[in-house]
Amino acid sequence: MNKTISLFIAAALSTSAYADDGKHEMKHHSGGQMNHADMNHDRGAEHDHGASHEHESHDHNAMAHDHGDMGMKAATITHTDEISAALANGGAPVVVDVLGVVCDFCATAMNKIFSKRDEVAAIYVDLDKKTLSLVINDGSDLSDKQIEKLAKQAGYRIAAIRRDSEAMGG
Amino acid sequence: MIKAILRIALVSISLMVCATAIARPVSYAGGWTLIETSNRASSAGLLHYTLNYNLSVGARYEWQRGSDTRVTAIQPTFLAKRWFGRDYQANLYFSGGIGTAERDVGGIENSETAKFVGVMADWETRSLFVSYEGRRMNLGQLGNQTMHAARVGWAPYEGDTGALHTWLMLEVDHREHMDERTSVTPLLRFFKGPALLEVGYNLSDSSPLFNFTYRF
Repeated sequence: MNKTISLFIAAALSTSAYADDGKHEMKHHSGGQMNHADMNHDRGAEHDHGASHEHESHDHNAMAHDHGDMGMKAATITHTDEISAALANGGAPVVVDVLGVVCDFCATAMNKIFSKRDEVAAIYVDLDKKTLSLVINDGSDLSDKQIEKLAKQAGYRIAAIRRDSEAMGG
Repeated sequence: MIKAILRIALVSISLMVCATAIARPVSYAGGWTLIETSNRASSAGLLHYTLNYNLSVGARYEWQRGSDTRVTAIQPTFLAKRWFGRDYQANLYFSGGIGTAERDVGGIENSETAKFVGVMADWETRSLFVSYEGRRMNLGQLGNQTMHAARVGWAPYEGDTGALHTWLMLEVDHREHMDERTSVTPLLRFFKGPALLEVGYNLSDSSPLFNFTYRF
């Protein structure tokens, strides 16, 4: 038992705490277009298009486009009273696809970390959509890199970030 | 020689890392977590602070009811790996601890250095849960203990953020230092916001299980 634990720990400590189960690449889909090459193709968690994928068969201009049986419809901002009020005050919407969000502790962690930031006017973690909805105060900015870093502090990883009209669904 | 190396390794690990069979023993950076556990073997409390997304350090007090042994220890917990998916999360934690163990023997208070190491792994979606925890505790003259526990769980519905989440779980544990070495505990887990409550009943030892976790 002792020997097993020692060997196990030595092996684990030599690697990163965040394992790559496939390719995790955070992408920011700006504007109204979503290029297929920019999509986050997470082999383990989402889907693998393989080598023979036909790009011409998709409508890449749709902001909330659906890949049909692949279930890749981009989620939009979740409207709560707080989020709606912040948007009405001129805040900028941001929707973040988060990996590994499976319980309320995950939501609590995100809420605590992001709520500390002055730039954030409103926040909501949606377990159904697996998204973090943010409204950034008018005149403030929270870069993709900052969002990624904050998510990491909360213990999670980001798959994609959508802003403005894309976050609102058109 | 091998025994000496293992002992050094164990103490080193104890100082570096930690673990407990609780939901998410490492929280978000800057977060505090209060964990209470009470099962057929012991009642324990752990208050920990998460220094970074992969490391928490806490103070642990454990009362082992059968032998009336009290353990007080510093307990770090290290998230060695977290696997992420769109619909799942899996974690591998190591824990350790060092402190004191006290027991009254024939009216004389015995005090020994307490050391322990543990490993915990879990995989969960919003409706399925599997976990394993192992812990080896050395209490000097007061004895050694080895514990293994495995759990499976199922949520009959997927609650959204802030809603009450309910899980049906079954835990099987093996404790070499107890008369009834292997036992089974069906339990209910309730989860809402920053609070988690588990209530169960050990079928082998006819004793209750009561666990509570709160994050703030």
